[in-house]
Amino acid sequence: MSIVELKNVCKTYPAFRLKNISFSLEDGKITGFIGRNGAGKTTTIKSMLNLVHTDSGEISYFGMPLIGNEKEIKQRIGYSTGTASWYPRKTIREIVSVTKTFYPAWDEEAYRKYLSLFGIDENKKPIELSEGMKVKFNLLLALSHCAEILILDEPTSGLDPFSRDELLELFKILKDHGVTILFSTHITSDLERCADNIIYISRGEIRADMSRTDFLQTFGRPEESLEEVFLRLEREALS
Amino acid sequence: MNAMLKKEMRLSALILTYLFIGFGAMTLLPGYPILCGVFFITLGIYQSFLSAREANDIVYSALLPVAKRDVVKGKYEFVMLIELGGFALMAILTVLRMTIMADAVAYRANALMNANPFFLGAALFIFGLFNVIFLGGYFRTAYNLGKPFIIYTIAAFLSIGAFEAAHHFPGMQALNAFGSDHIILQITLLLAGAILYFLMTALSYRKACVNFEIIDL
Repeated sequence: MSIVELKNVCKTYPAFRLKNISFSLEDGKITGFIGRNGAGKTTTIKSMLNLVHTDSGEISYFGMPLIGNEKEIKQRIGYSTGTASWYPRKTIREIVSVTKTFYPAWDEEAYRKYLSLFGIDENKKPIELSEGMKVKFNLLLALSHCAEILILDEPTSGLDPFSRDELLELFKILKDHGVTILFSTHITSDLERCADNIIYISRGEIRADMSRTDFLQTFGRPEESLEEVFLRLEREALS
Repeated sequence: MNAMLKKEMRLSALILTYLFIGFGAMTLLPGYPILCGVFFITLGIYQSFLSAREANDIVYSALLPVAKRDVVKGKYEFVMLIELGGFALMAILTVLRMTIMADAVAYRANALMNANPFFLGAALFIFGLFNVIFLGGYFRTAYNLGKPFIIYTIAAFLSIGAFEAAHHFPGMQALNAFGSDHIILQITLLLAGAILYFLMTALSYRKACVNFEIIDL
């Protein structure tokens, strides 16, 4: 069952255009959103969060259009990015104490559990956290308000292999708990380890939206890894 | 207190902004353009906006389960809270200057603006300018703070100059009344300032909501 749907989403910038983006996310699956830098991944994700105002198209969650149901939908989703941190000079405790007041579904027990699991010290400030810990902190916020969908924009960018491995394992655990994950990246090897489905975007257009197995069968050559397929497709698009 | 205002006060604001409310005490300075206190209070608010921008506050706010207009509302409520806090301090000190200090030599010999209801009305007008020019300007991009603040600064100091000069013009001496002199006129001017403040803030808020809805973060 799909719980997120994008239909013909368009957004035009002076030097870039997102063209008729349509895809859906299946409940309880990890979907990898791949594309090279500048392909439109972040614009698509920001459109899904209403941070970017789309020119046309429809975005819906749980069968409800995003516009008009933003409050309710955002109660049920979580967002994390590997490229930004919030309130770098406030303590985690201060940020959490304010943030939780926005979420009636905030689960203090889950918060304590993930705080301990992630090894996050509440007295630290985001500026004192490593990049991996910042991503975990964002995940902590999302999981503590019982987000059913996690939208992750390049969460593994800038992480060392060990931290990436830890995060990917965590995604698999979350998936087992029924959380739906959209995970954008240009590090395709990460997806080989955890993604059920692949959405491939190139130059503002969706080129593929299918299961990882089907993606490799459709676009891959014998013995090619996901990364090799991705690189070849990009090179072919350039030539 | 709503959650968004609490967020503004605890996460987005700098302590400096609260401390700058103290500039309302400039109301007691003799021989000084006391309306500058208003500017310093708004300068404190500006510092919080700068700090919040570096903390990715606006994106964080927009990701919370609130409508975009609630983000705007939170910012306006916070700004009004600081402004009206500063105004309350200025009003108390103005009452002191109008009553127990009304005959103090330092104030009687003051060539500049006197602390009276007209001064308070002028203060509200300048706060209103801040809300229209700076706050309204900020929500056109949600990141550009410098340009709207510079425009506001120019408008604020031109206004301060005009208010300071006003009572020197023939027939307008009543603007600089001491104690309860010309109190009806004085109260009328204070009310006019209050009406302009709320009108300017309401119009700015409505426009900011529309702008913030369509900009990309």
